[in-house]
Amino acid sequence: MTARPPRVYTIRFALLVALLALVGAAGGAEPPVVDLSVDPTMVKGPRTAPVTIVEFSDYQ
Amino acid sequence: MLKEYDGRVRLVFKDFPLPSHDLARPAHEAARCAGALGKYWPYHDRLFANQPHFEHDDLVRYAVDLGLPRAEFVKCLDEHHFAAAVGEDVSQARAIGVRSTPTFLINNRPLVGAHPVENFRSAIDEALRDKP
Repeated sequence: MTARPPRVYTIRFALLVALLALVGAAGGAEPPVVDLSVDPTMVKGPRTAPVTIVEFSDYQ
Repeated sequence: MLKEYDGRVRLVFKDFPLPSHDLARPAHEAARCAGALGKYWPYHDRLFANQPHFEHDDLVRYAVDLGLPRAEFVKCLDEHHFAAAVGEDVSQARAIGVRSTPTFLINNRPLVGAHPVENFRSAIDEALRDKP
């Protein structure tokens, strides 16, 4: 058994104004789209699920 | 939660070790090492159950307890095979304005901090209504 880096894919998010407020972006503009990398070993649930929850967490 | 929404919800975990938590980063790297060896979620659960005991020996013991090969795991951890991947998650989190943990995005809806399960349920239900 060898530790191999998993193949990473990306999901695309159009961000809501509420989160933009956190980064201090100007209101009124189209929300920017960001790509988040997804390590398939760090996912639960099917890729086809209509709802995706992304959790940013700290173990400590 | 995921069982309740069987097949309709996917959870994606992103590493966001806070700089003030000096034991966090090795723990996040360790979890990815466990993932590469096939035990990401059991190791992840073990870390949350044992926080904040994340010294090197602890991290190795959790892996061995889960049946992972010690030598492979230690090599991965000590050679920081996933340092860049963890750093990439942190960069992405910062880029979208995440400042504290936990922060959740539920189909683009941010939910910041620990919330009761009902708040997740209503956010998920709302997201499902938008996108049946």
